[in-house]
Amino acid sequence: MIAKARLFGDGLPATGESAVLKIVGATLLVQSGSAQHRASIDSLCLRRVGFDESGIEFSWTDVDGSRVVQVLDKESVQALLALPELASSSQWQALRAGNRRNSVRRFFGWNVVAVIVLFPVLLLLAFIWQADRIAAAAASHIPIEQEVELGDRAFEGMAPSLKLIDSGPDFTAVTTLGQKLTHGSKYRYRFHVAKSDVINAFALPGGIVVVNSGLIDGTRTPEELAGVLAHEIQHVELRHSLNAVVKQLGLRGLWLLITGDAGSTLAGSTVLQLTSLKFSRDAEEQADGKGFDTLVANGIDPRGMVDFFDVMAAKERVSPPELLSTHPTSAGRKQALAARKASLQGRRFEALSLGSWPPRE
Amino acid sequence: MAMDVVDYEIFGNDMQYVEVELDPGEAAVGEAGAMMMMQDGIEMDTIFGDGSQQQSGLLGKLLGAGKRLVTGESLFTTIFHNESQSKRRVAFAAPYPGKIIPVKLSDVGGTLICQKDSFLCAARGVSLGIAFQRRLGVGLFGGEGFIMQKLDGDGLVFVHAGGMLMRRDLQPGEKLRVDTGCVVAFQPSVDFDIQYVGKLKSALFSGEGLFFATLTGPGRVWLQSLPLSRLANRIIASAPAAGGRSVGEGSVLGALGGLLDGDND
Repeated sequence: MIAKARLFGDGLPATGESAVLKIVGATLLVQSGSAQHRASIDSLCLRRVGFDESGIEFSWTDVDGSRVVQVLDKESVQALLALPELASSSQWQALRAGNRRNSVRRFFGWNVVAVIVLFPVLLLLAFIWQADRIAAAAASHIPIEQEVELGDRAFEGMAPSLKLIDSGPDFTAVTTLGQKLTHGSKYRYRFHVAKSDVINAFALPGGIVVVNSGLIDGTRTPEELAGVLAHEIQHVELRHSLNAVVKQLGLRGLWLLITGDAGSTLAGSTVLQLTSLKFSRDAEEQADGKGFDTLVANGIDPRGMVDFFDVMAAKERVSPPELLSTHPTSAGRKQALAARKASLQGRRFEALSLGSWPPRE
Repeated sequence: MAMDVVDYEIFGNDMQYVEVELDPGEAAVGEAGAMMMMQDGIEMDTIFGDGSQQQSGLLGKLLGAGKRLVTGESLFTTIFHNESQSKRRVAFAAPYPGKIIPVKLSDVGGTLICQKDSFLCAARGVSLGIAFQRRLGVGLFGGEGFIMQKLDGDGLVFVHAGGMLMRRDLQPGEKLRVDTGCVVAFQPSVDFDIQYVGKLKSALFSGEGLFFATLTGPGRVWLQSLPLSRLANRIIASAPAAGGRSVGEGSVLGALGGLLDGDND
């Protein structure tokens, strides 16, 4: 066989000369132009060459000086190494042993790199998979004072854009109902009424509950408002916002770890996003259930709560109220509430008396 | 296939462009965006892939395009062919200060390995491929990454790099230690490796980093004196708008001098 090669050496151009190479018996023959070089295979020095080390180099010294010939073309290299004269030479055996060691080392090295690269990705996947549990565990180590501070900071950021009306009949009604529902809580609740026609209410960590006046106007009985409050209060009691913040922070931290992108990782910006956080369906169902129980425990008819959500759901078809976009309804939620409602079995509750409803000046 | 033989002329000192003269029917392949001007009669065609005719079929084209994506070239190459009856010229400009080197691939054995992104233009028929660095250490610390560009063919290629370019011919076994990032191109017969700088003190404080790149002969290598990233670093570091310090123009008055020198922008 004849292989295309490139010949380098004393007296030859530095970039080499094109040549052809063949092996006849125990002799290597290199033809370059009109010159022919020959060397016995035993006197050759072998080396793997080329950028991806797929080539082979033969070097020797003869009367003209040192000679180096390289074959880089993969097929030619394969064909050359298939020749028994070369394959059985001691140089080739030694080279092969070295190569094997190299490839084992390389394999190991690449695996280490793969693990290093994949580790944060796996961490992220594990975190996403168990996010709620991990976040809750981490959040349970945060003292209430810090939670309150977090809520206060978020509220400070939002307060200028809210038209708070912290007096008057609406405020009195909300505060009265709220205090009735939260007595004995480890949180110090602060209730606010915001002037807005949007039917919505939200809670911040640490005990700040804001109800829009539009929501109050939309309720038909004090029990319906109490139902909404009970639900929001449970978001605070169950630390849902805090868990969501911790989860988001954790995810951002991991994202930072993986991508190295430090942009918008400030905790502060997360706090400001508190109000736009959507709770998970589990969190909503939990808040519904506990809220329902709180109402019952405080002797307030919980049917108001269920009815109000039905009212909302009916409105959803026409124009979805804001409350439903932050508190997405789901089949599970409705079913759970309906089941709880059914379990009351006609139990009697004393109607709340807060004067005329909705409260008016 | 036969390569087009093109005549060329390189203009400029530090910010160069190359003017390629095309005979009727001849063509040159340019990196997208590198074209500076072309005369009447030169038609421009944008093709998917690298313009060498070796790959046909959709799969081949996709593979070629994928390779180009990996090496940092754009997906499309532009072919400039002379459709007129006489010689016409097209010029390609370098994207940043540096030198353009013409390399005749047949002089170096038909293949040249070069830094990714360094390709400027070539005679039609040159194929652009990737050379993947399998040595982990070299890929991580060699300054050129894991992917380099492989130019195959017989014709002329024009490669561009930053600062001054140094061409060096290495004898068999001759070794050159190079600052990482300064390697532009080399013949495939050259062994590209890394070497630990040697002493802990040097590694930490010499400013050369932990490793040198080493190039071992036989073969020809090209080095650049100023890798673009180094230049960019210095520019960013001294750009006040990007958070850098403005130095060198101050006076003993300091900030006051800055107010008084009338050079406020």
